[in-house]
Amino acid sequence: MGYVAVIPLLPALAFAILAPLSGELRNRLRGVAVAGMAGSLVLSVIAFFQTWPGGHAEHPVWHVTFPLAEISGKPLEMGLMLDPISAAMLLVITIVGMCVQIYSLGYMHRDGRVGWYYAALSLFTAAMLLLVLADNFLLLYMAWEVMGLCSYLLIGFWHEQEAPRKASQKAFLTTRVGDVGFAIGLFAMYNAAGTFSFEGVLGSAASWAPGAATLVALMLLFGAMGKSAQVPLHVWLPDAMAGPTPASALIHAATMVAAGVYLVARALPIFEVSGVALTVTLWVGAITAMVGGLLAAVQHDIKKVLAYSTISQLGYMFIALGAGSVVAAMFHLVTHAFFKSLLFLGAGVIIHASHTQDMREMGGLAKHLKITTITFTAGSLALAGVFPFSGFWSKDEILAVLLHEQQYGVFVIALIAAFITAFYVARLWFRVFMGPEQSDELHEAHTSMLAPMVLLASITTVIGIGGYWFAEFLGHHGAWPEPKIYLPSLVAAGAGLALGWWAYGRMNVVLNTRPLKHRAGYAYDMLSMKLYFDLTYDTFVIKPYMRLALAFAIFDFKRIDGVVNGVARSWRTLSDRGWKFDRTVIDGAVNASASGARALGSRLRRIQVGRVQAYQRYVVGAVVLLMLWTVVKGA
Amino acid sequence: MQVGLEVFLGLAAVLFALGLYGAISKKSAVMVLMSLELMAVAVNINLVAFSRFLTPEAMTGQFFTIFTMVVSAAEIGLGLALVLAIYRQSRSIELAGMNRLKG
Amino acid sequence: MPETVNGVVFGILALASIGGAVAMLTTRNVIHAAFWLLEVMLAVAGLFLLLSAEFLALVQVLVYAGAVSVLMLFVIMLTLRRREDAIRPLDASWGAAALALLFGAIIYVGVAASSFTLGAMPDEVPDVEALGTLLFSLDGGWVFPFEIASLVLLVALVGAVWWSKEEDR
Repeated sequence: MGYVAVIPLLPALAFAILAPLSGELRNRLRGVAVAGMAGSLVLSVIAFFQTWPGGHAEHPVWHVTFPLAEISGKPLEMGLMLDPISAAMLLVITIVGMCVQIYSLGYMHRDGRVGWYYAALSLFTAAMLLLVLADNFLLLYMAWEVMGLCSYLLIGFWHEQEAPRKASQKAFLTTRVGDVGFAIGLFAMYNAAGTFSFEGVLGSAASWAPGAATLVALMLLFGAMGKSAQVPLHVWLPDAMAGPTPASALIHAATMVAAGVYLVARALPIFEVSGVALTVTLWVGAITAMVGGLLAAVQHDIKKVLAYSTISQLGYMFIALGAGSVVAAMFHLVTHAFFKSLLFLGAGVIIHASHTQDMREMGGLAKHLKITTITFTAGSLALAGVFPFSGFWSKDEILAVLLHEQQYGVFVIALIAAFITAFYVARLWFRVFMGPEQSDELHEAHTSMLAPMVLLASITTVIGIGGYWFAEFLGHHGAWPEPKIYLPSLVAAGAGLALGWWAYGRMNVVLNTRPLKHRAGYAYDMLSMKLYFDLTYDTFVIKPYMRLALAFAIFDFKRIDGVVNGVARSWRTLSDRGWKFDRTVIDGAVNASASGARALGSRLRRIQVGRVQAYQRYVVGAVVLLMLWTVVKGA
Repeated sequence: MQVGLEVFLGLAAVLFALGLYGAISKKSAVMVLMSLELMAVAVNINLVAFSRFLTPEAMTGQFFTIFTMVVSAAEIGLGLALVLAIYRQSRSIELAGMNRLKG
Repeated sequence: MPETVNGVVFGILALASIGGAVAMLTTRNVIHAAFWLLEVMLAVAGLFLLLSAEFLALVQVLVYAGAVSVLMLFVIMLTLRRREDAIRPLDASWGAAALALLFGAIIYVGVAASSFTLGAMPDEVPDVEALGTLLFSLDGGWVFPFEIASLVLLVALVGAVWWSKEEDR
């Protein structure tokens, strides 16, 4: 099964081919990236079916390691492995990646740097595939960082404009805060276990010192929170929407932000040993699910609605992890990857059609964009958790886990979050597709953009039923939804949709929500200010940091520069002395040798008379002398 | 009268020395080229004579002669072309006048 | 061929070639010098015949006596503006003569000191056919050097044409 190693290699190869080319050539060769992606997709499908029917999660189907180095007697090994979780992730990444790449052919075709876009996308895919195939935390961390770089590159893809540039820096720095935690977690892990491999770490976690497991788990969680945009490190994700929409679909909806969930799912045994970490995870997820949902409900930018929705859904996954269920988290990750990337791709079409991202300037798209409407509706219903779309099944599984673990508080929060989710989904849908048309030249997208959406929509529609087998595949007992769980869930979703319809879909006019906002008063202000997260960071982190930097700069200017200048002055005096020495002694020597050479040259130039025959005589004379020597010696 | 190898070598040496004298004393470019031909012919005599006396079966000297003839033919062609080019430039083929490269 | 005839023929040819060379160097007329060179070439062709190198003798006549001499005459006549320009000073140089003499003397000493004198002329030698076979055989023959030589000639040809064409570059 060595071909598994080729799966991340193909997109990496595509990147290696594209990156060094000139822009023009790169644009023309973007097919290389698509081809690499297609190859990975085929191999991933094969790998998935070779892993089927899965089962034993603790025994990888395929595992290979290479010793890299030896650190104080302990071998440092790196390798790849394929187990059911990896196989499922591979399939998700490659399917969504393929859809996004095909979609981008249409979406980005007028961009002058489309070749670079494809190169970055390929590198990202390679890193993500490597991440899910890694058999140790260190390699996972490396791929994790490469993904962070690609995310930075793609958010800032249109770096001529201010917003993407700032957003890319914000995303990079915010996730870096989490990554520092991840790194500390890695150090603590190596300290405790003496290895990075999943097998070694997870196998020995039970025997660690009590505090060590908690420290490692919390630090890993911190890293995951950065990458998966969990409160309070979620602030970068909405801004990251400044990047190209298909890239958002792949990176900031389906795959990279799910890497945090994947990390925690991998490391869950450590969390279970700790216990405290598990509770923290649960509550981080619960708060994030609520905050994300609430903020999504007041956004006007269609992509930001989806971004906050992603944050909220990732919170759901953390809730599942906090409740100790890898299956529910992974299942929601898979379904969410499909329906959220579908929604993002649909949003791309909508933005292209109406030339704006502001939902208040949209409306009536349903009449003109038939296929987009149908596919987007499928995605919306899945997000809202309506039967039989995939979101219903995975959300149901999470709720079931919560009830089983008797986490009633979080269960209620999750239900409220589901209600809010349904509400903003309805708000989005009615605003965009219903109501009066605000633009007269609405047109459907190209087939290359619609085809991936249709594929994702059909996956979203049917995949939910696979939940039972997915659980079995990951080596757990599958279960079908029970009425005591899906009834409240459906009621919450229905209520949310109904409220959304009542507020936004009831009347065929543009709703004036101002009175509503006035009545909500302070609460609305709080939400529209994004719960003051950005303001808080700005006031308490960024501004003080800037002030500190300024203070340092002044200190630099006054003190350090003073020292530097003092050194410079004394150096100058020294140099003056050196200069004089130079002039007299060194230059003297140089000049002497120069004039000596000149004198020698003027003697020698007399030989160079410039007449051919004089040279001929020298040559013949030399030959005669040589011959004389030979003959005399021979004789 | 016994004609041995040394007789041919002596003859070639005399011709070569005469060519050498011409090559370094004559002031006309054409005359110098002629003298060079004389030297080349002297070398050819040597080669053929060695071939005849020492390696009659392999005829190595004769093949070498063919190649020296090729080279000297090329040389004379290029040399005369050069003489013509120089003549066009300076209306003279006197080697004494060709000292523009003097250092 | 009897030894005596051999010796007599060699004597005549040697005299002709050395005499021709001396005459070439001592005549004041450049055109005469070219004709003396032609005479030397013909004499050397005779020497090649004496050495049983019939092919080379023919080539000598064709290339040196024919082509090269004619080329010389052409260039001489192209570079002469008046008939009187053909008459040149003798350009006698004692230094050059001394150098040439020294050279000849050293060669004489070298030859005299060596053991070449032992060689008598072998009776039987391969003919032109054998030479041709050897020249053009791939296995142990001279075909590759021969082809390279043809390339050298081609390059020289192109170069000569390039140099001697009218000044318009």
